[in-house]
Amino acid sequence: MKKKTLGSAALTLVALISSLVIICPLLIVILGSFKDAPEAQAFNLALPSSWHFENFSVVIDKGNMGQAFMNSMIITLAVTAFVVVAGSLNAFVVSRKKCRFTSFVYYLFLLGMIAPIQIVTTYGLLQMLNLTGTFVGVICVEAALQMPWTIFTLSGFIKNVPKELDEAAFIDGASPLRMFFSIIFPLLKPIMATVVVTTAMGAWNEFMVPLYFFNSASKWTMPLTVYNFFGQYSSNWNYVFADLVLTALPITILYLLCQKYVVAGATAGAVKG
Amino acid sequence: MHRMEGIVNQKKFYPNYFTYPAIIAFFIFYCIPIGASFVMSFSNWNIKRIDSPKFVGLKNFARLFQDDYFLLALKNTVLFAVVTMVGIVVLGLLLALLLNSAVKGKAFFRTVFYLPAVLSLIVVGIMFKAVFKLDGGILNQILTAIGLSGLVHDWLGDGQSAMWCIIFVQIWKWSGFAMAIYLAGLQGISSDYYEAATIDGATKWQQFKNITLPLLAPAFTVVITMNTIGGFKVFEQVYVMTNGGPGNATQVLNTYIYKEFSKGSLGRSSAMSLLLFLMIAVIAVVVNKGLTKREVEM
Repeated sequence: MKKKTLGSAALTLVALISSLVIICPLLIVILGSFKDAPEAQAFNLALPSSWHFENFSVVIDKGNMGQAFMNSMIITLAVTAFVVVAGSLNAFVVSRKKCRFTSFVYYLFLLGMIAPIQIVTTYGLLQMLNLTGTFVGVICVEAALQMPWTIFTLSGFIKNVPKELDEAAFIDGASPLRMFFSIIFPLLKPIMATVVVTTAMGAWNEFMVPLYFFNSASKWTMPLTVYNFFGQYSSNWNYVFADLVLTALPITILYLLCQKYVVAGATAGAVKG
Repeated sequence: MHRMEGIVNQKKFYPNYFTYPAIIAFFIFYCIPIGASFVMSFSNWNIKRIDSPKFVGLKNFARLFQDDYFLLALKNTVLFAVVTMVGIVVLGLLLALLLNSAVKGKAFFRTVFYLPAVLSLIVVGIMFKAVFKLDGGILNQILTAIGLSGLVHDWLGDGQSAMWCIIFVQIWKWSGFAMAIYLAGLQGISSDYYEAATIDGATKWQQFKNITLPLLAPAFTVVITMNTIGGFKVFEQVYVMTNGGPGNATQVLNTYIYKEFSKGSLGRSSAMSLLLFLMIAVIAVVVNKGLTKREVEM
């Protein structure tokens, strides 16, 4: 018995030390965001000698974070809404109907699970469509990138929703669209939380697509702004840290509130097998 | 009769047009650029004459394989993908086993270990610039404190160590994600197996080797495939931490593609992008086939 508690204590100690590798740098960033420049540059775990809350207002102002926050919100909301609605409609038919067309669709999206985006020719395409530097262009590209995972995750779930429900609605004479949105869509709630959170996080953190396609600073998203801010203020670590905290905050809050769904997003592919 | 009704139902009830919005978006903004890459890789497409590319045959590819920087980027990318994949596979498994043991405060540790996976790579990259900084950087402070001040140096400014710093960041970021996948696999293993093995007198190590590892095979497949592909796609952390430098010491394919793109050589960067695409496609298929076959055998 004693040996067992000793072992458990040793394991907990190992876990604690491992977690410090993650917690310490994050803590240095968070504490540093409240310090003045020389103190922040010491990169240590000491509490600030005086709390400089104004770092955040300076960063919001100089880093143009208000605008960036709005831009990130627009893109994230649009990408998530489109991917969820178009993805679930697609997943529903693909998982319900077995025919040549749907198996073609399956393989088409399988390609998207593997292959990286061809960003240079995508640039050319947006140029042709007059969409470079526009929200619409970036939203379309990001939505296309996120679509395959969403469809696979949703079809895995829809397979377990009983078909009899569709048939009952059919007998009642509902149109397919009505049947889908009034009967199937509400049943997808458990998996929907996972899909929404995962898609939103992907869109919020996306860096490469806006980097290639937005040349004007007025459309930059949070990760782009923070990168640019770092280039300008790399000697003011207190500001850089405040900028990092503000950028990471929305995602971290979302993660802590919806942890169950976020982690389910990671394992959705693994369970499918 | 009943059967025919079923077919009618299918057609009416699961209409193909439901699939169109997703397919159209995916086809236009993802598939067409892949096709275009195949074509443009053989052209002298340039930002200055974006509407009039000319066919140049295999010239882009021939020049790439004579370009030492491209070959270096290729080598770096393969090194990065292999080392980070192995690191994440092993460390993720250790974390999962740790959280599956008698450890206290599981929920807390799970939250902490997974946290890096949700943070933006840009945020993580800039944070690690503070860790690896020469004067006053966190790592150098620690080394000085434990009496290893001889090891203090400019981690990101030195071509020998910069790549390893970026590799460390990738492992730091994704081990918790792998842990979550392993944990889901571990929870699916029935405790009956272990009880039976204990009765038969199997040691803990034998149980791990003969029960845990084989039954985790699907989780291994996912972790290995995802992280190999992810390693080949590496971009953000290199772009933020070293931008390919010092010199070209940490140049990887995606940063080199961006560099060429910024110079306006669209045909050349398309050619590299296409090579990356083909490499990832081949690796994904080979890795997945190989691992899935082993899963079945086991």
